[in-house]
Amino acid sequence: MSLEFTQQALRQFNEIVARYPKKDAAMLPVLYLARQEFGHLSAEVITYVAEIMDLPVARLYGVVTFYTMLSMEPIGRHHIQVCRTLPCALMGAEKITALLKAELGIQVGETTADGKFTLSEVECLASCGTAPMMQINDDYYESLSEDRVETILENLP
Amino acid sequence: MDPIKLNIDGREVTTVKGKTVIQAAADEGVLIPHYCYHPKLTIAGNCRMCLVEIEKMPKLQIACNTQAMEGMVVKTQSPKVLDARRAVMEFLLINHPLDCPICDQAGECWLQDYYMKHDLMGSRFSENKVPSQKRYVFGPNVIFDAERCIKCTRCVRFLQEITQTEELTVLNRGDHSTIALFPGKVLDNPLSANVNDICPVGALTDRDFRFRVRVWYLSSTPSICPGCSTGCNIKVETYQNRIARFKPRINDAVNSHWICDEGRYCFHALTEVERLSEPLVRQEGGLVPTDWETALRAAFSGLSGAASLGGLISGRNTNEEAYLFRQLTKLLRPQSSVEVFYQERELSETAKILMSPDRSPNFRGARDVGVGTDGGMDAWLQQLIRNDFAGLYIVGEDLVAHFPDRADITTALKRLPFLVVQDTTLSATAQLAHVVLPATNFAEKDGTYTNRKGRVQRLRAALIAPPSALQDWEIFNRLITLAGEKAAYPSPQEIFQQIAAKIPAYNTLAYETIGELGVQLEG
Amino acid sequence: MEKILLRNIEAKDSHTLAVYKSRGGYQAWEKVVKQLAPEQVTEEVKSSGLRGRGGAGFPTGMKWSFVPKDNPKPKYLICNADESEPGTFKDRILIERDPHAIVEGTMIAAYAIRCHTAFIYIRGEFAFGSRVLEKALEEAYTAGYLGKDILGSGYDLELIVHRGAGAYICGEETALISSLEGGKGWPKVKPPFPATHGLFGCPTVVNNVETLAALPWIIERGAAQYAALGTEKSKGTKLFSVSGHIQRPGVYELEMGYPLKSFLEEDCGGIPNGKKLKGVIPGGASMPVLRADEIEPVRLDYESVQQAGSLLGSGGVIVMDETTCMVKAAWNVARFFAHESCGQCTPCREGCHWMEKIFYRIENGQGTMKDLDLILSVSGNIMGNTICPFGDAAAMPAAAFIKKYRPEFEAHIEQQKCALLPL
Repeated sequence: MSLEFTQQALRQFNEIVARYPKKDAAMLPVLYLARQEFGHLSAEVITYVAEIMDLPVARLYGVVTFYTMLSMEPIGRHHIQVCRTLPCALMGAEKITALLKAELGIQVGETTADGKFTLSEVECLASCGTAPMMQINDDYYESLSEDRVETILENLP
Repeated sequence: MDPIKLNIDGREVTTVKGKTVIQAAADEGVLIPHYCYHPKLTIAGNCRMCLVEIEKMPKLQIACNTQAMEGMVVKTQSPKVLDARRAVMEFLLINHPLDCPICDQAGECWLQDYYMKHDLMGSRFSENKVPSQKRYVFGPNVIFDAERCIKCTRCVRFLQEITQTEELTVLNRGDHSTIALFPGKVLDNPLSANVNDICPVGALTDRDFRFRVRVWYLSSTPSICPGCSTGCNIKVETYQNRIARFKPRINDAVNSHWICDEGRYCFHALTEVERLSEPLVRQEGGLVPTDWETALRAAFSGLSGAASLGGLISGRNTNEEAYLFRQLTKLLRPQSSVEVFYQERELSETAKILMSPDRSPNFRGARDVGVGTDGGMDAWLQQLIRNDFAGLYIVGEDLVAHFPDRADITTALKRLPFLVVQDTTLSATAQLAHVVLPATNFAEKDGTYTNRKGRVQRLRAALIAPPSALQDWEIFNRLITLAGEKAAYPSPQEIFQQIAAKIPAYNTLAYETIGELGVQLEG
Repeated sequence: MEKILLRNIEAKDSHTLAVYKSRGGYQAWEKVVKQLAPEQVTEEVKSSGLRGRGGAGFPTGMKWSFVPKDNPKPKYLICNADESEPGTFKDRILIERDPHAIVEGTMIAAYAIRCHTAFIYIRGEFAFGSRVLEKALEEAYTAGYLGKDILGSGYDLELIVHRGAGAYICGEETALISSLEGGKGWPKVKPPFPATHGLFGCPTVVNNVETLAALPWIIERGAAQYAALGTEKSKGTKLFSVSGHIQRPGVYELEMGYPLKSFLEEDCGGIPNGKKLKGVIPGGASMPVLRADEIEPVRLDYESVQQAGSLLGSGGVIVMDETTCMVKAAWNVARFFAHESCGQCTPCREGCHWMEKIFYRIENGQGTMKDLDLILSVSGNIMGNTICPFGDAAAMPAAAFIKKYRPEFEAHIEQQKCALLPL
């Protein structure tokens, strides 16, 4: 069975494309939509998006692998991204990462066996004044302490 | 075209508006080293190898993207420039694998060449090199080594801009950037192997040529591709009297910098056959070897005695050969029906960028010099099937193999009272003949081809023919002599002089003026 | 000092149109779209002396004037909200708490260059911020400030929020354009320049969030009032993001030319826990670090910081105290640049990772003395030889850390571990 947008997603797709002077420019928002619809940007999804965008699939391939936030692999339900750049590093980011590794039992870049958490280290998230901090999916968690991290993890569904 | 004067390395140089510094310099014979720049592709500006010093500009500038301006003063050998080149070379080499001993590119590798010319520094890199994929098959004719790749993106741009098939992309970011094919896809468009040519290093290499022979052992002969009537200019590169590979020769009037995959590899089928070791004549029981004298007399006897005569010459025979063939057949029988082999097939849009739908490189030239009937190949085949020919002389084509589904053609051939076949090998058609004459292939000939668009170009012999074979024009000469005419053509050049004298369209042509890039016929 | 950029953020619901308007918002826009010609707007901004606040500090009005007026192609104005320079978080606070200032500023800039389709390119990680901006846009459209025939002026303007997907390089204007065109964030070879050949080959101007957010005030109060603030060549006010070992981190708005030392010691409360200052990076991680003993004469404006051997950049002030291992700090920054290099051109693609690997070796006790001059050499080979300033941004800090703290690096190498020397 081949992959396809639902009617609703197709409407959203057309809306998105209509905003831009050229269809190509809708690349990123369409990829976000596809990810939302299909879970992750697998090779199959990318092939489908290439079709509806009328672009060679190789171009999509290059784009998806270029950006940090796009991945061809499935991600856990909660993507924990700990900032590791200088200001956060100065304020103890390494300890936060170590704590998370211990708590979740995974290495950086891995996903827990139950698919609940993926742990990543990322570069500056523009939250340096409230370092150390992390982003989980769309949300920022700032001014972290070891206790705060534990509480946050506990409260994630 | 507005002329501009600028100064390159102390020399005053005149160029035209619109040219970049790298082009203006190249026109003057000043070769600024570069990787990503290619005259037929858009500017990428990523290799940084062509950085030059330009007076009044504080930073070094890339010559490939700097417009030549009036009064500009360019230095391509200043200490700053030489330092920058060494810096770029060092950066390119730090992650480059030490593959030279096993890499096909050795001997024609721009990293090697520029290292010897512009670098010669020892390595200061003591980290681990970035490992990556090796021996990755991109397609039937292209194999990729990611570690050797310098990310110049020539291949990506070629496939985006020339073939417009965009199979390749650059994956990832930073020093994990790599050229890639989408999983499951294949790089197999009709012009795919050109990426091997334009890759300056051994990242993309030709699968057919892989590990065949070191390039410094190759002899290179300029010639024309015998694949179809486009007439792409090529270099025939040989080793120990065998063709190792074709490479394109630049000719903006014909093929630009490219050749198609089919043409590139066609030499295998055309030259790697079991050669006839001597002429053959049919006696009771089958074909038996004989000497040239006997064979030619038998051929002449049979053909001149035939009440009706047909002739078919290959599109791979030269103008000189086709001309003599026509002279001969007219001598033998003035109403002889003589054609040049021509058959069309479907081509994809990508193929059409370069390829012609036929496989007869000189069909146009043959027609120009007198070979051809009003009805063309189709009508001629009809004549054959209707048994119109009492005698038939076929040169260089295996009709049986061309028409495997046409029993009527094979039957007609078998029914021929007298058949002479002149070819390089004992083909299926030759096996039906009464006389078989060993001749040469395209790579063993000197002569000219006229391409589909009317461009006359020179074919040059890259191989020495086996002692058992005679040049086609030589065989025709001897038969003409047997017919009583004094054959006065000791060489293809002299034959061509006849053509120029006798064929109005070719009046102004001569080997000297045809040169390396050919001459376009008018009209 | 009267706040210009931070004038609204403390107000409750400052992100809503109602509050923004009640505090004087969109009066500038009305004036611009109904009364001023585009050239007048440009002249006003030129006179104000406003310089790009993204990091390059290029005079904004002059940048706008490079757009050819008689070019038939559509013009594009892009608000660069791709804030990714380490140590910088000033745009974020405007996005989240004063989005209408950004929207209004973007509109004013679009008008000045006769643009009818403008974009806000916001980094993908600012998911919350993009939602705030989308809401603000909705409000602006409903109020008739955007769309067709704005306020009956005959001027049309569409404004689109476009989310990035995680790439620091997309903050570079031509990389941003490449990304917005649907490609990888690869900077473009210049010439041609965006002013003539930008988005889709059309004349384009890219301005930073902070630059645009200053425009409503400048139009309202007039260029002269803005130019009255700051120094001779660095006019107006700037936002400084302060982070690291500092008592009161956060975003501050200062008049240009404010002394760095008093800023850190007084406004920001100095170094906590009784520690001493070791070094401070004044303009985001791409800028050379200044040693504690170098900051005395430094004022926070473009010229003074440059004279001190660094650059004002984005104004991301990263404070490091005596407990900081400068080798580790240098490695951290090198790792950032290695991770973010787009990979297009040779010196950056290979050089950034090379430097990171050498720093890593040194940090982990496997360095040799030769490594220090090697890094300086590699850094020098990258500088000026790349397609875009990212190469310089990676090269400068690497060289600066070594030059400023060479004895510490040498001790670290000798001892094969962190060797914090007494200050």
